[in-house]
Amino acid sequence: MKKSMLGVIDATMLPGEMGELAIHRSPAAIPFAGRYRLVDFVLSNMVNSGIQSVAIFPCSPYRSLIDHLGSGKDWDLNRKRDGLFFFPAQIKEDQLSRMAENIDYFERSEQKFVLISSCTTVANIDFVPALERFINQKCDLLEITHKGESTCTYILSLHLLMDLIKNRNETGYTSVQDAVNDQHSSFTICQYEYNGFLQRIRSIKDYYKTSMELLEKDKWSQLFNEFQPIFTKVKDEPPTKYTSNSSVTNSMIANGCNIEGEVNHSIVFRAVHIGKGSTVQNCIVMQKTKIGSNCVLEHVIFDKDVIVEDGAVLRGTPEQPLVVKKGSVESVVASS
Amino acid sequence: MAKQKCVAMLLAGGKGSRLKELTEKLAKPAVPFGGKYRIIDFPLSNCANSGIHTVGVLTQYQPLVLNSYIGIGSAWDLDRRTGGVTVLPPYSESSEVKWYSGTASAIYQNLNYISQYDPEYVLILSGDHIYKMNYDTMLDFHIEKQADVTISVIEVPWDEASRFGIMNTDEHYNVTRFDEKPEKPESNLASMGIYIFKWSVLRDYLEMDENNPDSSNDFGKDVIPAMLADELKLVAYPFQGYWKDVGTVKSLWEANMDLLDQEQDLNMFEHSWRIYSVNPNQPPQILGTEAIVKHSLVNEGCVIDGEINHSVMFQGVEVGPNAVVKDCVVMPNARIGRGSSLERVIIMGDLEVPDHTVIHNDSDEILLITEAFLAEYTQERTKMEEA
Repeated sequence: MKKSMLGVIDATMLPGEMGELAIHRSPAAIPFAGRYRLVDFVLSNMVNSGIQSVAIFPCSPYRSLIDHLGSGKDWDLNRKRDGLFFFPAQIKEDQLSRMAENIDYFERSEQKFVLISSCTTVANIDFVPALERFINQKCDLLEITHKGESTCTYILSLHLLMDLIKNRNETGYTSVQDAVNDQHSSFTICQYEYNGFLQRIRSIKDYYKTSMELLEKDKWSQLFNEFQPIFTKVKDEPPTKYTSNSSVTNSMIANGCNIEGEVNHSIVFRAVHIGKGSTVQNCIVMQKTKIGSNCVLEHVIFDKDVIVEDGAVLRGTPEQPLVVKKGSVESVVASS
Repeated sequence: MAKQKCVAMLLAGGKGSRLKELTEKLAKPAVPFGGKYRIIDFPLSNCANSGIHTVGVLTQYQPLVLNSYIGIGSAWDLDRRTGGVTVLPPYSESSEVKWYSGTASAIYQNLNYISQYDPEYVLILSGDHIYKMNYDTMLDFHIEKQADVTISVIEVPWDEASRFGIMNTDEHYNVTRFDEKPEKPESNLASMGIYIFKWSVLRDYLEMDENNPDSSNDFGKDVIPAMLADELKLVAYPFQGYWKDVGTVKSLWEANMDLLDQEQDLNMFEHSWRIYSVNPNQPPQILGTEAIVKHSLVNEGCVIDGEINHSVMFQGVEVGPNAVVKDCVVMPNARIGRGSSLERVIIMGDLEVPDHTVIHNDSDEILLITEAFLAEYTQERTKMEEA
C-alpha cells in the first residue's frame, strides 16, 4: 500500500511577505535550520512515508530550487522507475491548469492516491496514518490540519484528481483546495489532525519566529529524529572549528564554520566565519557569510554570502528582524 | 575497456593491530578520523582531486564496514562510467583460495584488473596515512625523470628514521640503496609507501616475485630491492607537507590534535583540495545554554550541554550538563553522561559513558575507552562506594 501514493509539491507560492529572502529564489528554496531548504521538509516527509514519485511544480525564479534538488539523489529519488519530476509553470495559471498541462504524468502514474502539499510547511510528519484514515473512512478528500487549521496538505485518489483537472471549467475550481472548501459539493471531506510541531512559513516574521523556536529542545526534537531523517543536498564541509576565544551558547551551528567570536541564541549555517570580538545574538546567519571582528549584531537575518566588515553594528528588533540581502557588503559607515 | 593513463591500486587490507579495539571490527583504513572522516577518505580524495579516476581498492581484513562505506565511490565523485572505484577482495581460483599474503601478491592477483585499462603507469597507495598530496604532480615528476619507479619520500627526524623504510639517494634523487628500518640510518628520507611504476616493469617484476618461493611478496622487502639489484631507474620524489602514519592509538590521537594545533599544515577547510567523505546526514550541532566549547572541532548531529576543550567530536555525540571533555577524541554517536570528566582519552563510537564518570589519563600513552574498560571502571567504583 505504501507505494501507492504520488507526491505533488506545489512550489508556485508567490514571494509575498517573504520579501528579500525570496527575490532570487523560490520560497521553497529559502535556507532554513542551518543546513536545509524549506522544501526539504515536505520532500523528506514524503520519502519517509514511502512515496517514490514526486512531482514539483515550481515557478520562476526556480534556478536555486532545481540546483538544490538536482536529480533527487539525496532523497533517494534518482530512480529508473518513478523518482523526481519538475514541471516549471507559468505564474498566471492556477494549480489545476498547470496540472492539466502535464496530464500525461498523471495518466502514466500507476499510484492510486495523491498527496498534494505546499512547499513551505516545516514539520516531520508520517503521512501513512493519514492515508490509512483516508482509505478506512472512504473519504473523497482528506485535509491534514494542525490545531484545527488547514496545512494546505491534501490526500485524494488519482482518479478524483484527474476528474478535478478535466472538469475545472465546469466546476470553476482552480485548485484542490477549492474543492475541499466548497460547502455545496457532494464530496466526503475528512480531516486528519497532526499534533506534533508544525509551522507554515509565509512571511519573514514566520520565518524568524519558527527558526528561533528550533532552539527550544522539545521543538527541535520533534523536527529531527533518527528514524525519520530530513534529507538535504550533501555538502563536504569539515566539522566546525571553535577557537580558544569563541563562546557559543543556545545555538544551532552547521558544519564548516570558523567561530572566533561570541554567538548566543542564533542559527548559523554552513561555512560561516565569525570574527574575534564580535557578538552575534538572536541572529540567523546563512551559508558562507563572513562576519569580521568586533561587530555587534542583534536580531538580524543575514542571507548567503554577505560580508560584514570589522566593527559593524546592526540591530533589528524581535518583531522586525533586519534582513541583509544576499551578497551585500555591510560596512561600518553604512550601518552607523 | 577504455584506456587509462594511470590506474591507482589502494592497499586497504591492513589489520592495524596496534590500534587495539579500534580495529577489532573494521580494517584500519575504515578507522574514523578528524571528526567526520575515515582514514581512507584521504587517499581516495587525493585520487579524485588529482584527476585519477580509476582506483582499485584491495580489501581483506574485516571488509564489511569498508565495503559498504566505499559503495560505488560516489562520495568521492569516483562513480564513473569507465574506471571509478572497484573493490577487489581476494578470490578463489579453480585450484585454490588465494589470500593476499603480502602487498606485492595482492597486486599480482589483480593484474587482470589493471590490464583491462592498458595503463602506462600504476600508482600504489596505502590506506594507512593522513596527508594531502597531488599524485598528478608526482606522475609528472616520474615522467620527466624517465624513471621505472618513483617512490614518494618525506624527511623524518633523524632519531625516528630507524622506524621507517629509508631511501639513500644521490644528488639527483636517484635511489642508491633502500634500507628497511635500519639501525644506523644514513639518510632521513622515509618511504611513504606511495609508488608509481611503469606498468610494463611492474608486471614483469610481480610475475618474477610470485615465482620466487623465497619472497615474502612485499613491495618494500622484495620488489624494490630486486629492482635496485637489477639497476633499474628508481627515483625518490621528495614530498613536503603534512604526512602521518596513524598506526597506533597514540599517533591517531596526535593526528587528531594536529587538526587543532597545526592547522596550517593540515587544513581541512581548503576549498581547492577538499577531503570528501560519506555524509552522515544529521541535523546541525546544538549547543545548549550552559555549553562551553573552546579550541575544538565539532561535527553535525552533536548535542553539547557541557564543556569541551581542545577536543575532536564526531557526528552525533552528546555531552551532558556539567560534563568536561578535555584533550579527547570522541567517536561517532558516543554519549557522555552529566557531570563526567574525561581527559586525554579516545572514546569509542556508540559508547554510553555513565554520569559522573571521571577518567583523567595523565600517562604519556593515550587511553582507549571501550565498553570493557567502562564495565571494569563501574565495577571498581561501586566497590569503592560500598567500602
